[in-house]
Amino acid sequence: MVLLFLVLLSLTFITLDFRGDGGGITGGLRHGVESFFSPIQSLVGAVVEPIGNAFSGITDYGALEDENARLKDRIADLERRAAVGDDVRKELADALALQDLSFVGSIPTVSARVVSTPVSNFEQVIELDKGSDKGIDVGMPVVTAAGLAGRVTEVTSHRSRVQLLSDSTSAVGVLLPTSNERGAAEGEGTDRDLVIDFIEPEVKVASGEVVVTSGVGGSFPPGIPVGNVAHSKAVPGELQRSVTLRLSADLARLNMVKVLQWKPQR
Amino acid sequence: MTSVIRVPPVALLVVALHTAVLPHLRLFGVGADVMLLAAIAAGLVAGPRQAAWTGFLAGLIADCFTRTPFGLSALTYCLVGYGVGLLRVGVLEMSWWLPTAITFVGSALGVVTFVALGTMMGQEYLWSWRVPMIAGVLALLNMALGPLIVKSIRWALGPVSEPRPVR
Repeated sequence: MVLLFLVLLSLTFITLDFRGDGGGITGGLRHGVESFFSPIQSLVGAVVEPIGNAFSGITDYGALEDENARLKDRIADLERRAAVGDDVRKELADALALQDLSFVGSIPTVSARVVSTPVSNFEQVIELDKGSDKGIDVGMPVVTAAGLAGRVTEVTSHRSRVQLLSDSTSAVGVLLPTSNERGAAEGEGTDRDLVIDFIEPEVKVASGEVVVTSGVGGSFPPGIPVGNVAHSKAVPGELQRSVTLRLSADLARLNMVKVLQWKPQR
Repeated sequence: MTSVIRVPPVALLVVALHTAVLPHLRLFGVGADVMLLAAIAAGLVAGPRQAAWTGFLAGLIADCFTRTPFGLSALTYCLVGYGVGLLRVGVLEMSWWLPTAITFVGSALGVVTFVALGTMMGQEYLWSWRVPMIAGVLALLNMALGPLIVKSIRWALGPVSEPRPVR
């Protein structure tokens, strides 16, 4: 009886979510819970990240003898400090690199810090510490010094969520400048190269070729670096060339990013 | 009454682990799912009814941090918790290794159920070649976290009478 009740309740929530298209009651619940846990998430995340790094460092040394306990503690302490130092240095380097983004042109930008890495194993979504109060809106592109990272999908007053290009529902219109061929790069999940669709089989595509946004579809401004061609080959019988794209931005180690205040043209 | 006082800090601990700690500790890009683990742990210590409730509430919180349909995790975790609870009731004697094995299998089944239900609801992107790998790695990580979460859930729910078969 309990199970039946809870199943029906779950299905009611799912129906409400579909009908409200992510907004409505379920959207309000989501925002409420997120806002409540955001400070905890930021605080715990900031503490855990360097400890996690130090922990990884310690495990690399393998098993130590009992009599070396004092030395082990000392190593752990030093590595913890080193990890914290590395994080600060990386953040500073990221912030400096973001000051000179030639590909952004005259588009105004907002700098933001990544406060949450993907929680789910099925989505590539991060959270930024800035929201609509700083002029961020849904659809705005997010870049690192290396190139495009994703786009804003949800915004609250102080936070925004970004769907990374590696997300399996993400797609971006791209241009191969050498051949002037346009395609669509689709995400394939964590640590996987993107797949570029709609490239004609006879088009010559070299490995390492730079790929930029095409601006087609109006979701992203044209000319932003996306990555480099990783593999390219014509498959007999296929109507399009098999091309994979390695992203320029290191999505696994995002720290500081810039949100381009550019509205999608739809 | 005791559990009313004990549940909030444990819930806070579990949510903090889920949203802020475990996303940083990934193996092959896969993190543990402590909300699913909470449902399984409740099944192991408190039987099907409480596990279904725990799974449902844990799933609802998990749904707040994802873009999948709101209620999908709640439905999945509630079913998994209930299933584990039923299994616990059906087992006459709990060997030392059985909770670990149930945690592993329950976690893997939870991932598969989540993907299957999500795909049925039009979220085709959930299915990919990585699902078996995600299920396996997540089950391993959940297995490692199992003792901590089982202890926490047992402490939170207070003295629970031995689960009896549900009719």
